[in-house]
Amino acid sequence: MPHVPIDRHQLANGLRVILSHDDRAPIVAVNLWYDVGSRHEKPGKTGFAHLFEHMMFQGSANVAKGEHFDQVQAAGGTLNASTWFDRTNFFEALPSHELELALWLESDRLASLLPAMTQEKLDNQRDVVKNERRWSVDNQPYGTWDEKMQGLLFPESHPYHHPPIGSMEDLDAASLADVKEFFSAYYAPNNAVLTVAGDFDPASALAMIEKHFGPIPANPAIPEPPSIALDRIIGTERRLEVQDQVPLPRIYAAYRMPTFGSDGFDALQVAIDLLGSGRASRLYRALVREQQVAQDVTTFAFPLVGGSAIFTIFVTARPGVAPATLEAALWTEVDRLTADGPADDELERVRNMHAAGVESSLERISERADRLSMYACLFDQPERLNAEVSRYEAVDAGRVREAMSASLRADNRVVLTYLPAESAEAGA
Amino acid sequence: MTGTLNPLRPAAGVPRPYHFPSFSRRQLANGLNVWTVPIAGSALVNVHLLVDGGAAAEDEAHGGIAALTAQLLVTGTRRLDAAAFAEATERLGIEVSSESNWDHARGAFQSLPQHLDEGLGLLAEMIRQPRFDVGEFERLRAERLADILQARSEPGRLADESFLMHAYAADTPYRRLSAGGPETVEALTHDDVIAFHAAHYRPGLAHLVIAGAFDDDAVAASVERHLASWDGVGPGHRTIVPHAGGARRIVIVDRPGSVQSELRVGHIGIDRYDPRYFPAIVMSTVLGGTFGSRLNRRLREELGYTYSARSGFDTRRSAGVFTAATAVETAVTAPAIAELVALLEAARTAPFGEAEVKEARDYQIGIFPLRFESTGGIAAAIEPIAVYGLADDFWQTYRDRLEAVGLAELHAAATELIRPTELLMLAVGDAATIREPLEALGIGPVEVVPAP
Repeated sequence: MPHVPIDRHQLANGLRVILSHDDRAPIVAVNLWYDVGSRHEKPGKTGFAHLFEHMMFQGSANVAKGEHFDQVQAAGGTLNASTWFDRTNFFEALPSHELELALWLESDRLASLLPAMTQEKLDNQRDVVKNERRWSVDNQPYGTWDEKMQGLLFPESHPYHHPPIGSMEDLDAASLADVKEFFSAYYAPNNAVLTVAGDFDPASALAMIEKHFGPIPANPAIPEPPSIALDRIIGTERRLEVQDQVPLPRIYAAYRMPTFGSDGFDALQVAIDLLGSGRASRLYRALVREQQVAQDVTTFAFPLVGGSAIFTIFVTARPGVAPATLEAALWTEVDRLTADGPADDELERVRNMHAAGVESSLERISERADRLSMYACLFDQPERLNAEVSRYEAVDAGRVREAMSASLRADNRVVLTYLPAESAEAGA
Repeated sequence: MTGTLNPLRPAAGVPRPYHFPSFSRRQLANGLNVWTVPIAGSALVNVHLLVDGGAAAEDEAHGGIAALTAQLLVTGTRRLDAAAFAEATERLGIEVSSESNWDHARGAFQSLPQHLDEGLGLLAEMIRQPRFDVGEFERLRAERLADILQARSEPGRLADESFLMHAYAADTPYRRLSAGGPETVEALTHDDVIAFHAAHYRPGLAHLVIAGAFDDDAVAASVERHLASWDGVGPGHRTIVPHAGGARRIVIVDRPGSVQSELRVGHIGIDRYDPRYFPAIVMSTVLGGTFGSRLNRRLREELGYTYSARSGFDTRRSAGVFTAATAVETAVTAPAIAELVALLEAARTAPFGEAEVKEARDYQIGIFPLRFESTGGIAAAIEPIAVYGLADDFWQTYRDRLEAVGLAELHAAATELIRPTELLMLAVGDAATIREPLEALGIGPVEVVPAP
């Protein structure tokens, strides 16, 4: 089992710092999680947390527009950022002798983003993000699935009602004043975790961090996030048929599930793997290989903490198979596992696949850094990284049955069915 | 890139050297080449078995047979049916993959070191004694046909496939995907699979790569046990001679209602043996390999036309394509094509700047250790050495060869590698909206074709 070293510190301004040493190769990863995501957006401002993430690459007091990317890439590094429901992360991986470059760049934008902001930059990145939405959602077959799924899973009053990419209308409405307000509210050292993983000298890394981040003031008034209060189950099945430019029908089933980090989440993560991970999984075996009603199956969880996580299943119909036939076959398998629970050899299979998967993921220092930041940001427990395998292995057949019975119910599910637009017209 | 001189930039520390792991190779009596790469600190082992059974080893009438054969391998062995084979491997935490491209077919897995021998035994059994159940054959052929439909419904993948169809002439096999098109896949038979496997899945031209944490003696014994009695030499592959599909032109692949146009601009590029390989890497990095590259800076950061723009060479045994690629809002399709063409042409006529070239080289040289951070990444890096017969010191000398690419060499390469009279400018998008503006550009004849 992998064991990742974890060395925790905190600066006077509240910045949580995690160091994880590994000198196998002369590379180092820098990773920042800010405790702000699409869940923190105000009504009418959907997509703003993500648009703001783009603005973080548009320059700061001492760094020109685009220079953050240029500096890191010219140093032989890779970098990016991403925005999700519960957080926004920024990360670099680079040759270890350039550690201070990444720390300087990250600290400069946290210390001094606003003086560099202009309307022109905002307009440019608004266009970029709208093209990102067209590329990933509006011009893709099945591309609207998560927007529709979230809309049905969560009430309008809940912050997971909309996806991180947001709507075109809200993106159009974003203003420079919004950028200033959002930055001032959430981008503060006491609302962030900084992880450094890889090849570094701990004392000098800490000195660099103190030098670059130490002078940045805390924000004593981080806003309270919007309410995440939510019933554990939806209470009724919600169904929607979508006509789209798709060649084959596909069913997206989704359920509310216990939040990431809970025992219930772990049990359902095991259920997800029993159902859909690998060619020996229940759904692949029954729907794809034996009954040949599905072209493919995918199961996964959105590991969210804001009142509910999401359990999802996608199945694409084989040509000529009616969606109703596919759906009936799907529920039969889900219900069977819920009723009977897994056999011992099935549990052994998913546990070994999971352990190998963790080992493989944690080979990369960027992944270690990201998960350490995640556990620190969401739970203030970076040590959870070293418990991933043991938590998974602690799930037994009884916990799988219990968790599935509680969540995988017809009155807790959303069923989205995508249908080929042309054949639907021809059949009408 | 825009130049990275900033007086406040922290000085770099002292670099620690990095070396690509050394490896050894030997040949079994049956011809199988065995490559072993011990990796200090790895807690995993990767095994890749490569045979000369890619699409270049099939004939055009059977286009897709190599891919279908490879995909069928994981559906069991004579001893274990599909379900039993999946369970036997996944019980060990192993997912065996099997796939092919133009130049080879590959069966592979990653495991914890204690499962290496058992995993290698199952992989060898799969390669040597596949089950090729008729029902599984029918299922996977139908899945492949449906996959083609699915891929063509995605604008980006449709653009990639369409670009090949038009960039190459009708007599060039590379004008299709290596996994074949519906016309030939539909006609493939169970007997075709058995015959292709019997001919090509032989140790004579094959390579076994083992990288990660293992004991040398144990691996040698394991290889001996599972693969020494495998025999035969396959017929190898065809030599593909690429011909261009036409002169400079615009092709619109009609996808009515598209809110973006997927653009691909380029033509036939270089093969894996081309002496301009290193200048080509530097050139495509300057043009479209980084965030601050000419294409991304102009189309994204200045014009806001796109989420990203990039360029690159696809290199194979024979010449793959060179493309600049992006997806833009429908309304700016014509100006975006004009920008792409202007940027490509400028790379020939206006000399590259010293600073941007240095940054591109430094990027490619600097990320070298990051590329080989994982055990799988190192195993994959042995493949081009094995399959293309590159020098054993290819990775050892890689960074020096990039560093040696100078401005004059780069400019000479760009002049040859970008050919304005051959540019294929392809757009997958709403023809009714984008046709007229593209015609009005006056930079080439415009043809509208239906999506395949």
